[in-house]
Amino acid sequence: MGLREYIVRRILQLVFTLWAFVTLLFVLFRMVPGDPTTRFVMEYPTPEAREQRIEELGLNEPLHVQYIEYMSQLMRGEFGDSTHYREPVSELIFPLFLNTIVLMFTALIIAYTFGVIFGAAMGWLRGSRFERGGIVATLMARSSPEFWIGVILVWIFVFQLGVLPRSGIGGYGDELTMNVIDRYVNVDFLRHLILPALTGAIYYMATPALLMRNTMLEVLKADFIEIKKAEGLPERTVLYKHAARNSVLPLVTVVAIATGAAMGGSVIIETVFNWPGIGREMVASVTRNDYPVAMAAFFLMGTAVIVMNFVADLAYLYLDPRVKYE
Amino acid sequence: MRTNSRRSFLRSVGATGAVGTAALAGCAGVDTGADEDLGEPVPEIQFVFQTAGASPDRNELGHLVADNLEEIGFEVDRQEREFDPLVQQSVVEQDFDVSLLGWGGTPERIDPHIFLMDMHHSDFSMEGGRNTPGYNNPEYDEIAEMQAQEVDEDARRELVFEAQQMLSEDQPRCYIANEGGDHPYNSERLDSVNPTLGEGLNGFWNFLELEPADGVDEVTFGYGADIISLNPMQDLATPDRQFIRLIYDQLYRFGEDGDPVPWLAVDEPEISDDGTAFTVEIREGHTFHDGEEVTIDDVEFSFELFAEHSPTFQTYLEGIEEMETSGNEITFHLDEPDATFVSNALAQIYIFPEHIWAGIDDPTEQGDDEYIGSGPFVFEDWEREVEMQLRRFDDHFQPPNVERLIRVPGDAGTLIDQIEAHEIDMFGNEPTPVQAERIADDPDLGLATFEDIGHVKLSYNMRRDHMDDVHLRRAISYCVPKETFVEDIRGGMGTVTHSPIAQAVENWHNPDVRQYHENLEAAEEELEAGGYEWGSDGRLYYGE
Repeated sequence: MGLREYIVRRILQLVFTLWAFVTLLFVLFRMVPGDPTTRFVMEYPTPEAREQRIEELGLNEPLHVQYIEYMSQLMRGEFGDSTHYREPVSELIFPLFLNTIVLMFTALIIAYTFGVIFGAAMGWLRGSRFERGGIVATLMARSSPEFWIGVILVWIFVFQLGVLPRSGIGGYGDELTMNVIDRYVNVDFLRHLILPALTGAIYYMATPALLMRNTMLEVLKADFIEIKKAEGLPERTVLYKHAARNSVLPLVTVVAIATGAAMGGSVIIETVFNWPGIGREMVASVTRNDYPVAMAAFFLMGTAVIVMNFVADLAYLYLDPRVKYE
Repeated sequence: MRTNSRRSFLRSVGATGAVGTAALAGCAGVDTGADEDLGEPVPEIQFVFQTAGASPDRNELGHLVADNLEEIGFEVDRQEREFDPLVQQSVVEQDFDVSLLGWGGTPERIDPHIFLMDMHHSDFSMEGGRNTPGYNNPEYDEIAEMQAQEVDEDARRELVFEAQQMLSEDQPRCYIANEGGDHPYNSERLDSVNPTLGEGLNGFWNFLELEPADGVDEVTFGYGADIISLNPMQDLATPDRQFIRLIYDQLYRFGEDGDPVPWLAVDEPEISDDGTAFTVEIREGHTFHDGEEVTIDDVEFSFELFAEHSPTFQTYLEGIEEMETSGNEITFHLDEPDATFVSNALAQIYIFPEHIWAGIDDPTEQGDDEYIGSGPFVFEDWEREVEMQLRRFDDHFQPPNVERLIRVPGDAGTLIDQIEAHEIDMFGNEPTPVQAERIADDPDLGLATFEDIGHVKLSYNMRRDHMDDVHLRRAISYCVPKETFVEDIRGGMGTVTHSPIAQAVENWHNPDVRQYHENLEAAEEELEAGGYEWGSDGRLYYGE
């Protein structure tokens, strides 16, 4: 089978996976008790007023009709209107997505840059006190709940030192703008970004660090490292140029998947820091039975994960000639 | 106070005794014959209440009630639910024996009508109706209808008192507490706040009359949820209305004591002798935020608009047969006398600019940010989940003291932190007892205390045979530790209640209704009076 065939087959698989995922979502959301009007039951003076709204939303139609309607909308790239906010889903979630992406990418870049360096050093200095301490620290970060890391950082930087803002994404009362530059490139925003990004970074750092250490240990056993050392190259060169480079390969997959997952943001970090992101909205929309918003958020996130997985596979094919496509 | 009655003592002895003899006889589980004269066992009580995540206070209360019920011989199926599924199951599907939920106290509920009529009249007991228990008492229905038509206040009060008395005897619901409390604010940046009945710092008079300190021209207000919509033609939650009324005016506003006071209207409405015609004169020279004058035509237009499109307010306008305008006056002709017309209609309907809304095809779908009203605040800008910005309407006849008002939604715990970090100035939800203690210790922060008119309550599903016995319902009500809930679980925030009309609503609250404090002995006496008996296993049975 040639490379082209392989790619075509993978794309077909991708489409099928997406369809199954979307269908599953549809069924799951309809199985949850309640509907978008449940939350207002006590606000409606009469049940008729509520019935009317259910009808408006088309929720009294048979399920297959709703499903066909939903799928055909999706084919056209539309997500419909939020049942809760009554505005187009795309308008509602676009800024939230932006906020999440800015936060998560900052966190991931910090986590992977430092994680890789730190992990490589741990592998290189195997058996040292540095390595033992490093493993303990990494495992602690990994197993601490995100909100706890966040709370500790808040306690230090907000309440003890008073140098950083507690939450939000900017100063209150400033001009609200959708211009990306005005929104994200200013001191106020950056100060608000530090704590949530740091919380995420500390939490995510463990994966690259530990993975890097493990592959380093494998690579360092390899003959070519011995040869490089024998050639009299400086340690640093051997470490970073040869050993670390070869150890980065497995990380490609992890980075891709982490990036996909990061699209969904971190509900916990967003909640702790009042970060107006998609993760928080996703959870809220599920509790409100706001199907269109929940579907859209899950769909985009699921798509990102599935697509990034695919990208990771392709990247691997390209990076490591020993990998065969089947 | 746990009371241990003679009966429960005997029961526990009896139970061990039975086990003891059975064990001695070497044949555990054989009926000793003591239970032969019992009828069927009382069915298990299906008790639905919120999860600890959804409401820690109410979850704890739910478990305490269930413990007490088990103590006196009931079997309890504890079904813990998130908020929406709980509402769906108990209010819509009516699938419960006992449910624990609350009702918010918005200003239009200060008038006793909604709590007496919508929540207990048999016309409202269909699926999704507000009469969740399915209480059906023709005698009660008659009183509820009479109070709605009695325009004379003293005569109406008598009826309202009688209705409360009846409810306390029949116990379709057990009213537990008004969950009033404290809202935190920054006392360094605000010289004074004005918490109001039922709403605390969310109250209209707070936003209007709060006094910022010198040099503070922008006040931030945090709340645990974002506004859903500023368009009253859509489903509205309470927080939405609390901000819509800042941007739009009404003919009357609920004053600080809960009675409607003239606002856009010049004076009290003129009511015809038969109680079917209400005439209102409006102010001259008041304008909308875009400079257009507010005219009597805008008033008439608004009432028509709401009658046609507003899911929340339609019901209150159904009684209007016709409207007449002349000069600055409008007369509403109703098809029957209505004592609640001022509170439920005149003090609720927002006055909308006809020159903007007349041209809108589908008012229910209007959701952009053209919110032009004539209220004390002008809508500036809004980004969902980030903030909403309002500024003072300088030309208003009663402008607020603050220049700008910023509303910040978010997680309640995080917002409390922001109060403590001095990042926001006010918070419209109650802190937990621990948070409240920390805030009280900070010299720069204050707690604004208010009384609530909403309540937390048990509803009993009277559609089910075993729940359709007044003795059994009263017995359950005696198992509710109301004092413990207010004093221990809520750290003293709130007031114990026994009636749907809160004590804070002095004009309508009947202080002499039958009271139900936690008292297991009284509960058992109620059950005995109802002919129930206990088996040797301590379980509750119907008598022969």
